[in-house]
This record gives sequence, structure tokens and C-alpha cells, in this order.
Amino acid sequence: MSDDLVEPVDTALRGQGEGLADQAARAVLAYRDGDPAPLAALVQVMTPLLWHTVRAQGAGTEQAQDIVQNVWLALVREIETIRDPRATLQWTLVTAKRAAWRAVRRSREEAARTDSDEAATEWLTAPADELPDARAVRDERDRVLWDNVRSLPERCRRLLGLVAMVDRPDYAVVSQALGMPVGSIGPTRGRCLAKLRAALAADPSWSVS
Amino acid sequence: MTPDDVTVALLAGGAVDDLDTEILGRLAALVEAADPVPEGLVDSIGLALTMEALHAELAELHLVGEPALAVRTDETSIEAGTITFTTDVLTVMISVHHENDLVRVDGWAAPAGVLAVELHQSGRFTTTTSDEDGRFAFVDLHRGAARLVLRRPSDPTMPVVTPQIEL
Repeated sequence: MSDDLVEPVDTALRGQGEGLADQAARAVLAYRDGDPAPLAALVQVMTPLLWHTVRAQGAGTEQAQDIVQNVWLALVREIETIRDPRATLQWTLVTAKRAAWRAVRRSREEAARTDSDEAATEWLTAPADELPDARAVRDERDRVLWDNVRSLPERCRRLLGLVAMVDRPDYAVVSQALGMPVGSIGPTRGRCLAKLRAALAADPSWSVS
Repeated sequence: MTPDDVTVALLAGGAVDDLDTEILGRLAALVEAADPVPEGLVDSIGLALTMEALHAELAELHLVGEPALAVRTDETSIEAGTITFTTDVLTVMISVHHENDLVRVDGWAAPAGVLAVELHQSGRFTTTTSDEDGRFAFVDLHRGAARLVLRRPSDPTMPVVTPQIEL
């Protein structure tokens, strides 16, 4: 495991309490000591975040499942060489994002070569843009929120969709793993969340709902 | 700067508050609903990690007879009824019974002898020991993908692992 992309994590996390980054660090240490249970628990809580990270890059559902599983396998294979266990969360996110990016690029090249209209347009569908079904939209506030999120620039949509998957201590790690500048979110709101707040404040259906 | 830019800049410098937390909480539920994690993904990752941990020592069993029982269309998982697996060193027969939402697995290993038997499911595992006739049982299991790992006292570092079965 390379340490080149992990340097700012410690500072970003210090003093922000327990989060996924801490849980991941403990799971790696326990696994090395012969106890796989904390890693199994980590797989449960962290797989949704990895899933949406991969999907946000445009990977298809089959492709995304393989990528997420391979990220976990890669982590276990390299677990003895991890120098800073506290960088585990960021490492897995960056690994997932890069693997998805490579897979999507291959699919696009493949689609361009075969000139299949269906395959060529499939990746254009950003999964996060599809409307959840009626059950998921619990009330008017959910609907207004979703509409306003969809109006944000794509980078902000991706960032907020993924940051939403974690608790406050992990905001900075998630945004850095996505390649967003330091301070994109947490401890202050950052511009994406600020844009969303401004849009909601200006939306009459949000204030009455 | 337009008034909008000023508003955004002011908001951006503010601390994350309760309304932000509510917004992100709602957004998480919406994102999950719009593109849910496929059912079974976490289970199959757990099993893949178990296999990876055992990798160097793996002796895969092969399914014999009844391919009709066999394979779920979406993955290499086997719908269990009564199944026999065999390797050079061990033969294992299991039968699976459903009792309401719970599952019972009865097994028999040959050559007969006391074996440590683990049932791996969703990243957790349950351990039992077979009797001198090689019989063992797991009760009150949940449905889902599972795998047996059997360790012989004569060669405990070389476990025998079954393919994934669907309980």
C-alpha cells in the first residue's frame, strides 16, 4: 500500500471524534493480530460508501460489484504492509475511485470501438440522478431537497451524495479522496453545501414544507 | 460579487449545523433508495475475504451428483437440499432443512472421525465438532449464502472448504 496520497488525513481528522477512519484503523490492527471480526463489521458499514463512490464514477452495477469486492481483497492482501492504519479509509476510497475510473474508461473505449448506440450511451446515465421511487421520498421536503441537489454542479452532487454516507469526522477524508480541495466540507460547510443551503433558502417550497 | 455569491461565501465559512445534518441525513436515504447496494454484495465480500484468508491452504470440494440442484443463475452458489462434496482426503454430505425462517444443516464426513467444522456466513462463523462417526449439525442458522470449513486433526493447517451453498 502506498502512502503517497494519505499525508493530510491525520491533521484533518484530529479532534473530530470517532468515525469510519478510526474504525478502519482498528479493524486493520485487529486483523493483523489474528482477529478478523472487526474487519467483517467494517465491510458491513463501509461497503455502501464504496458502492456509491464507484457508482459516482459511472460504473455499471455488475462492474461496480466486482470493483468493490476487489478493493476489499486488495486491502487484505496488502494488510501487512500498511504503514499508517489510520489512512485505511482514504486508501480504500481512492483505490475504489481509481479502479472505477479505469473500468469506465475501458467500457467507453470498448463502446466507441463497437459503435453500439446502446452501450455508448449507457455510461452517460449518472445513477445518482435517477429519481428514487415514491416510497423513498417520504415527504415534500425530500422532494424539494432532491430537486435542488440535482440543480447543483456535478462535482457538488457527487461530493454531497458521498459525504451524506458518513458522519462528521469522515467528511474531510471523503472529500479529499474524491480529489476535492481541503476545506470542501468539514469542519465548515464548504461551497457545495453552502450552495445547496442558499438554493434551499431561496426555494419557497422548502421554507413552507 | 453578486449578492448570491456573498451569501454562498458567508454560508461556506459557517460551521456544519443541525440543519446541514438533517439535509445530509435525508440525502443519504434518497441516494440509498435511488441506487441501493445490491442484496448479497456484503455477504459475498465476506465470503471472498474468508477464502482469501485461507488461500494458501485451500482444498476445494467438488459437487457430485445432481447438477439439477445446482447453480443459482446469478452466481456460483448452490441451492441446497442434500449435497455431497468430495476431495481426495474427505467426503462430506450435508442436508438442509428449513424451519420457518431458520435453517438447520446436518452433515456427515467420511472417513469418520472428530473434525472441527466451521460454518461461514456473512463474515461471521459458527464452530462445532463432529462426533466419532463424523456427524455434525448447525441449528438456528439464517438463510443466505454459506460455506463450510472442515479441519482434520491429522492436518489442521490444511482445511477443506466447500463451495458456496445457498441455505
